Amino acid sequence: MTEHYHPRVKQLMDGELSLSELPPELRAEGEAALRWLATVDRTPIVLSSNLDERVMAKVRSRLPARTRVLDLRRRIRPWVLGAVAAAAAVLLMTLPRESRVRVPVVAIARAPVHVRFVLYAPGAGRVAVAGTFNQWNADAAPLAPTRRPGLWTATLPLSPGQHQYAFLVDGRRWVSDPTAPTVDDGFGRRNSVVAVNPQTERGRGL
Amino acid sequence: MGSEQTRSDGEIVRSVLAGDIDHYGLLVRRYSDRYARYAAAMLGSRDAAEDAVQDALVRAYDQLAQCRDPENFAGWFFLILRNRCFAEHRRQQSQARSMETRDEAIAGPERADSAVEVAELRQTIGRALQLLTPEQREVFVLKHVEELSYEDIAARIGASVASLKMRMHRAYDRLRDELKELA
Repeated sequence: MTEHYHPRVKQLMDGELSLSELPPELRAEGEAALRWLATVDRTPIVLSSNLDERVMAKVRSRLPARTRVLDLRRRIRPWVLGAVAAAAAVLLMTLPRESRVRVPVVAIARAPVHVRFVLYAPGAGRVAVAGTFNQWNADAAPLAPTRRPGLWTATLPLSPGQHQYAFLVDGRRWVSDPTAPTVDDGFGRRNSVVAVNPQTERGRGL
Repeated sequence: MGSEQTRSDGEIVRSVLAGDIDHYGLLVRRYSDRYARYAAAMLGSRDAAEDAVQDALVRAYDQLAQCRDPENFAGWFFLILRNRCFAEHRRQQSQARSMETRDEAIAGPERADSAVEVAELRQTIGRALQLLTPEQREVFVLKHVEELSYEDIAARIGASVASLKMRMHRAYDRLRDELKELA
């Protein structure tokens, strides 16, 4: 069973109180907490001296940085549809109850567009969506349960551009969007992708 | 153009994007060690940190044209490294790596005589940190290892101070339990 620190001891650990500001009955607990906090390893880590050579060897084997980005855009584009969010919402309403589906919402706009994220996660206690639009902050965008059991949703404003994301179920399990396109995150996993295209892209056959 | 030391990150980024690939080495030398301690604490070992930093530096090069504020290359690179650390955690989860392997990975070098007790407690704390959620571990590392304020952490990772404190306070309670178990 978890033993909780007294809230004032937590303030002490945060550096917001001094030991002398604690009531006498909490000082022993506070001292013990400060003792182990002071022991935390803060030794600087120095990486291998040839790390920069290894990085630069990889960099030199690649295309120039600007070229790579243009190439990436070209590769991702084909899945981008010119649909608007409303159409996606209509499609969502027609989905069968069992489907673990969220529609990849794509809009054409200059201002942020509200995009609805949906995940069917039966048995989940909580679901969140984290991605490049919220710095992968798992607390920033919780999904709310809907009337349909197991179906979770959240609507977020997304600025124009491509956004990578994944769902976090019960704070432990990362789940990519089953129906959205995915891209390699560069580290061996797949991130889902949604795009909001700037207005200037209209008519390019995306 | 200034010397290597005086050139700003923005100047170097623009130079690399203009085609001077070798100038990226200036950024690599400037930042390869800066967040190594963060990565080591997040991932549990120096070797894992080295892999993460290397991958993140290559990744940053690939995405350099998307760095909206070249003068803040450091903050942008930190977010890429952070993403790499969280991705590693997800990969470990999906591979269901055994705790035995993790324990071995996070064991630090042995230390001698009078420092033994402190070294043992440090190792125990390091082991307990790996039992936190990555979000809890991150805020603990940034505050108590990197010694940043809540406000600085909030600005760096885009979270509110209130949510960071909540994460941290849960981490304190969890660490208290784990330290008791592991001691």
